[in-house]
Amino acid sequence: MASTAVTASPSGDAIRDPVLLVPLVVAAGLAIGGLGVHERVSGTRIATDLALSWALVAASVVMLERPRWRRARWLLAATAFALLGADLEWASSHTVWTLGFVLEGLWAAFLVHLVLTFPEGRSWSRVAGVAIAGAYAVTFGWQLVGAFVVPDGRDVLSVAPHASVAHVIDRSQEISGIAIALVVLLLVGQRLRVLRGPARRVQGPLLVAAAVTVPASLVWLGWVIATDASTSTLGTIGRAVAASLPLGVVAGIMGSRLRRPEASELVVELRTEAAASMRERLARALGDPTLDVAYRLGDGRYVDATGRPTELPRGAGRAVTAVTAGGAEVAVLIHDPALLDEPALVESVRATAGLVLENERLAAVVRSQLAEVRASRGRIVAAADAERRRIERNLHDGAQQRLVTLSVALGLEAARADAAATAVVARAQDEVEQAIVELRELARGIHPTLLRDEGLQAAVEALARRTPVPVTVEGAVPDRLPDPVELAAYFVVSEALTNVVKHASAADASVLLVQEVGALRVTVADNGVGGAAITADSGLAGLRDRLEALDATLVIESEPGRGTTVCTEIPCGW
Amino acid sequence: MRKRVLIVDDHQPFRAVARELLEGAGYIVAGEAADAAGALAAVAADAPDAVLLDVQLPDGDGFEVATALAAAAAGPAVVLISSREADDYGRRVASCGARGFIPKSKLSAATFAALLE
Repeated sequence: MASTAVTASPSGDAIRDPVLLVPLVVAAGLAIGGLGVHERVSGTRIATDLALSWALVAASVVMLERPRWRRARWLLAATAFALLGADLEWASSHTVWTLGFVLEGLWAAFLVHLVLTFPEGRSWSRVAGVAIAGAYAVTFGWQLVGAFVVPDGRDVLSVAPHASVAHVIDRSQEISGIAIALVVLLLVGQRLRVLRGPARRVQGPLLVAAAVTVPASLVWLGWVIATDASTSTLGTIGRAVAASLPLGVVAGIMGSRLRRPEASELVVELRTEAAASMRERLARALGDPTLDVAYRLGDGRYVDATGRPTELPRGAGRAVTAVTAGGAEVAVLIHDPALLDEPALVESVRATAGLVLENERLAAVVRSQLAEVRASRGRIVAAADAERRRIERNLHDGAQQRLVTLSVALGLEAARADAAATAVVARAQDEVEQAIVELRELARGIHPTLLRDEGLQAAVEALARRTPVPVTVEGAVPDRLPDPVELAAYFVVSEALTNVVKHASAADASVLLVQEVGALRVTVADNGVGGAAITADSGLAGLRDRLEALDATLVIESEPGRGTTVCTEIPCGW
Repeated sequence: MRKRVLIVDDHQPFRAVARELLEGAGYIVAGEAADAAGALAAVAADAPDAVLLDVQLPDGDGFEVATALAAAAAGPAVVLISSREADDYGRRVASCGARGFIPKSKLSAATFAALLE
């Protein structure tokens, strides 16, 4: 199963890739070169332009390695053509010259488009979209308008030649050019600041190249305006600057090729028992600190390394790559979609990680089952608590009500009975009173009302007051904690104090409640005879399920003659 | 002058015994109510001098009723009763504005009168 949120299909686009453009650009270059020679253009100039356009198309071929960069490849190839198109101005034919004039600046718009939609072909933001549209309008639209007014004898479109209007158009192009260049510089700077991990690695070089190119263009445009020079004579400088962009592309791709041997070292590293987790090692090998691993359970669900259920991300923000062992999917890597730009790197990790991840998966499955057992134990305890609460309520509303009514009625009767009957009624009243007390104790033991209403601190303080041995309560639990936590802590204190009374022969005891970050610590200590242990039939043993359902620990220290300390630490997720 | 008392408890047999007890001790039972809403309505209608108020009511608890009554000027004296003990309710007994608390099994003319003094 190739469950991918962002799909990489390196082979499917091959036909539409601009491979065929290579011979076309080479041919166009040769034609333009021929034109240059024929028109006696300087050899250096011809060589520069041919080298630049061929370098651009060569870079677009190198980019075949990046399946998601198709749009960027087309834009590089288009830039190559546009550069050659501008050289049509070398021609002595007026029609061809005019065509060259109109195409003169288009290459710059293609490059702005390339940078601001890099790498996936989507405009970075609305501002970027406006900058791209502006670049086309200034370099092509406005240039076309200029063609109608330029007072140049070679211009076949010059229907209303007007030197000052042409000059205004020239200057406005340069000023708009500066504005667009500033916006590009700003956007590239922002992008470089936020990019992290693999995205920075693969996209960084081109963006850095742009960050160098754009200020250079600014200097150039500034110089053109300051010296009132003619734009068309300065193309070469701008083109040379633009050559840094394809260099950026190639540098980025070469950089990630150099990473591949590192990835294959993973095989060795994965087989050694390192301290770092599997996730960390894979993240390092792939150079993506955000990488996560999710293991597949038999029923198709996914869990993380600790066995907690996890959802695979949907949408373009994250990418998912399946890892298989023996033909079956064992895990998925959840990573930065930018890693899809380095399919060979991902593939080398996929190929080596399968078996090791299978082992990790088995461990995750066991952890997941343990977590399920714990959760089910928690549900059982919660259901039992609900039942205890119901019973306590029934006792209170039923038997207890009737007994107190009986007690008051007997008291009433005792006041008006004769001497002989008074003694009988008084005995009956004592019996009823005793029954009420026992029933009340029973009800409290089943479910303490005060705990539910007032929280742990109040309930423990009441427990301390009712204990026949003097008990001090220290510490504080100002917050209400989850019901299971409060109940577990309460029952531990209750059982421990019961043991103090029954077995410890202690002069006094203390309860310490400490609410820590993420846990509640409860300590009950006495100064009695010690020597206590948790036996199978002790009340504390009966709390085991309740405590383990909460992942809590129970520690008893009870050396003979040195008192007993019962301590529990209950994690609570706040 | 004999004091007028309202009895609030959702257990009818207890109300009957309490009425007998109070009337035997010289109080006038101004009325009975079985829940919190009935208690507040009866206090508004009959203006009793005292309310014998069970803590656990089907539609709320006696503490809420006691707090509401204490908020009114010249409200009745409230005596809370319950088949539980005061200790089972913590601070709420002291903070609800009631005169006092009597565990139901200890309710007698003497304990009631002592709190009204």
